[in-house]
Amino acid sequence: MTDFALGAGASSRVGHASPARVFGWLVRHPPVFTLILIVIVSIVVGAINPTFWQVASLFDMARAAVVKGLFGLGVLTVLAAGGLDMSFTAIAALTMYLITRTTADYAPGTSIAVILALGAVGGAIFGAVNGLLVHYLKAPALIVTIGTQYVIRGFLLTFIGTELFVNIPVSMDAFGKYELWRTTTQAGTVAILPAYVLVLALAAVVTWWILNRTIMGRAVFAIGGSPAIAERLGYDLRKVQVFVFTYAGLLAGVAGIIFVSSNRLANPFDLAGTELDVIAAVVLGGARITGGSGTVIGTLLGVVLVTLVNNVLILAGIPSTWQKFVVGCFIVLAGTVFAMRVRR
Amino acid sequence: MNSAMSANFPAVTTAPFTRDPNTPPFLEVRDVHKHFAGVKALRGVSVTIERGQIYHLIGENGCGKSTLIKIISGAQPADAGSLVIDGREVQRLSAIEALSAGIETVYQDLSLLPNLSVAENIALTQQLVESGGHLAHRLDLARLAGTAARALGAVNLPSDRRFLSTRVDELPIATRQLIAIARAIATDAKLVIMDEPTTALTKREVENLIGVVNKLSAQGVAVLFVTHKLDECKSIGGRAIVLRDGQKVMEGDIAEHSKRDLSYWMTGKVIDDVRYRQAEMGTERLLEVCTLGRRNSFRDVSFSLNHGEILGITGLLDSGRNELALALAGVSPADHGTIGIEGHAVRLVQPTDAIAAGIGYVPEDRLSEGLFLEKPIRLNIIAEVLDRLLGRFGLLDVRRSRAFAQGIAQDLQIVTPDLGNPVQSLSGGNQQRVLIGRGLTIKPKLLVLHGPTVGVDVGSKDTIFRIIQKLAGDGMGVIIISDDLPELLQNCDRILVMRRGTVAETFDAESVSEDALYHALVAETASRSLS
Repeated sequence: MTDFALGAGASSRVGHASPARVFGWLVRHPPVFTLILIVIVSIVVGAINPTFWQVASLFDMARAAVVKGLFGLGVLTVLAAGGLDMSFTAIAALTMYLITRTTADYAPGTSIAVILALGAVGGAIFGAVNGLLVHYLKAPALIVTIGTQYVIRGFLLTFIGTELFVNIPVSMDAFGKYELWRTTTQAGTVAILPAYVLVLALAAVVTWWILNRTIMGRAVFAIGGSPAIAERLGYDLRKVQVFVFTYAGLLAGVAGIIFVSSNRLANPFDLAGTELDVIAAVVLGGARITGGSGTVIGTLLGVVLVTLVNNVLILAGIPSTWQKFVVGCFIVLAGTVFAMRVRR
Repeated sequence: MNSAMSANFPAVTTAPFTRDPNTPPFLEVRDVHKHFAGVKALRGVSVTIERGQIYHLIGENGCGKSTLIKIISGAQPADAGSLVIDGREVQRLSAIEALSAGIETVYQDLSLLPNLSVAENIALTQQLVESGGHLAHRLDLARLAGTAARALGAVNLPSDRRFLSTRVDELPIATRQLIAIARAIATDAKLVIMDEPTTALTKREVENLIGVVNKLSAQGVAVLFVTHKLDECKSIGGRAIVLRDGQKVMEGDIAEHSKRDLSYWMTGKVIDDVRYRQAEMGTERLLEVCTLGRRNSFRDVSFSLNHGEILGITGLLDSGRNELALALAGVSPADHGTIGIEGHAVRLVQPTDAIAAGIGYVPEDRLSEGLFLEKPIRLNIIAEVLDRLLGRFGLLDVRRSRAFAQGIAQDLQIVTPDLGNPVQSLSGGNQQRVLIGRGLTIKPKLLVLHGPTVGVDVGSKDTIFRIIQKLAGDGMGVIIISDDLPELLQNCDRILVMRRGTVAETFDAESVSEDALYHALVAETASRSLS
């Protein structure tokens, strides 16, 4: 009775591995493609400059990937629900400014746990406002969050200016310096893996768990697939929209605190303009810009790929001005490959 | 064929089902009213649904049946009236409450989430309902798979892990239909509402569906079909509820009423199931298709068509009929064979080639392939001929294009107060006429109609068939590609039956019976499915 009904998708997976099948499988599993790009870049850079092959490179990458990775997980969550957040860097900048200034001036002894929690709560509040605006204004998330980004940046510029932090609370400074692992290379330099990479690891696990092991997570993807259908099936659009933006805001708030802790002499405006880098990383990790897809592992790989290009091209003797060019080429390439899945 | 419409319709109701007076019916809809922007969609409708019975809610587009379904499923509140579920009166039913009461709806668009897996589409709702709509709950993956597997078994689909994790948008439409039904019965369904479930299915898939429905009914689940396909209502059996202009005009056992009666209640007109094709076809050769093929779709298709001839092409979903239609339209070109129009070979690589060759194409899925839904009717009509309506400076000549659209709308009897309204404000039948009208704007020699009356009600069908006959009478060649066999029998001169990518048999439409045609359609697949 059911011969007609068997899925094309199910049947095309059996059989021998021909090039077409391998390619088809690849297109279905975008993160693998990202991983291949990472391997290619590493091999090319390593071949040109063998000093790339050392632990220090890995630690540098990990250090540089934390803030972008936290942002990326937030972007992924919003993107999975069919929205696009442009305001996370502004949220991070404002949250980190308010919290760093207040604690440095009034409670310099505050512990890092409290500061991180404050960052999370502060970011979450701004994110929730985004979510409520998107839901009640029924406007595209992209437009609303470009608006809130400008409002926040305008506020920062008007009342604070481009002022550097003169001093930050002791606990933040210590947190930024706390080492998880230290090793001395053959050349005699010291490579340090900072402890705050654990925050990204934890955030990745939590995000994965929420997206894949809770009803909320599946509701996020359901709404990203089709808001009208999801609503008809009983999913509460408002809850999901407020949740994804709140969660993205929370991650942005934490990222802001880590940004200050690790850079010490930080300017809130340093983060401005990195939105597209992060969105590029998430898209390179296989999430579709139209929403409803994407994975945590893909996002992390996308962040690694973008960080890799930003950090190591210089090792291969390529001027750093070419970073954007290379990332751009990868985006076009990945975009084309991922789009084949839709066309097939 | 149309007699004068009678002025008044006293509601006709046969005796209700006998049942134990102590248990209330599963659902009572009492005197429900609903209006939108001044238009009364429902004017005091009362319906009773008993457990395990099969109902057909019948009516033309715009009669209020979709509104009634939305109220029963909690998607929209009624303005007045009440719902009584299991003897308990419910004032305002939410979507979640309707689901937890066991009211499941399979919408016409199937309402599947394209990016989620088969298992999630079927069984997520169960956990959502149990959590009362709260989302902060852990997902029970084992239960998800278990529930989905059980439901898939009930609709005769595989339930292995690979199938469970397949994304729904990778599956064919007939499978998606069954998945939507599996979702409806995955939990403790008491009433399954199916909104025009058979529109996208071939006859054999419909039979499979009917088997599933009978199984449900035997288990005490009530099934409410929303439809205007009277043939299928008759073959499924059960109780008919006919709506017209927001009122219930008739309720009774479907076996006791003829198709003619039912369509009279639906439309207020007498419509006979007659052969529309009367005119003689011309003698000049218009189209010559020779050994046409496309890899993995169809092969070795040859036929010819005269001016003024109507040719029907049918087959199951996987027969290659759809791909052949797309090749003739230049949408997905053939890679083998030749197409000749009036003796000249034409190459159809893209849709503009077909337009240039004088082939008008009316696509199968008017919603996604055919119409710009939010755009005005007028623009939808002239979309293919913008270059012929240019005025000074290469800008669109507004006055001329208005007059042009007006003329087409009149020819095709498109009913609307204003051609500036969005095309989605029209009923299905009128939308289809807009699409045919657009096909005609290029003054085609050959018109390819792909499923010309899918989702169109009886009254509109009548109008569309008359238009097709008139066009053929004027010398146009027409190809109708459809799985609606009565439609082909009523309109065509010849009917080609495709199987497994090639033309298997050719029939004279006047002398072949529907049964013979159907058997030709399924001839080989029937034996395949037994193995």
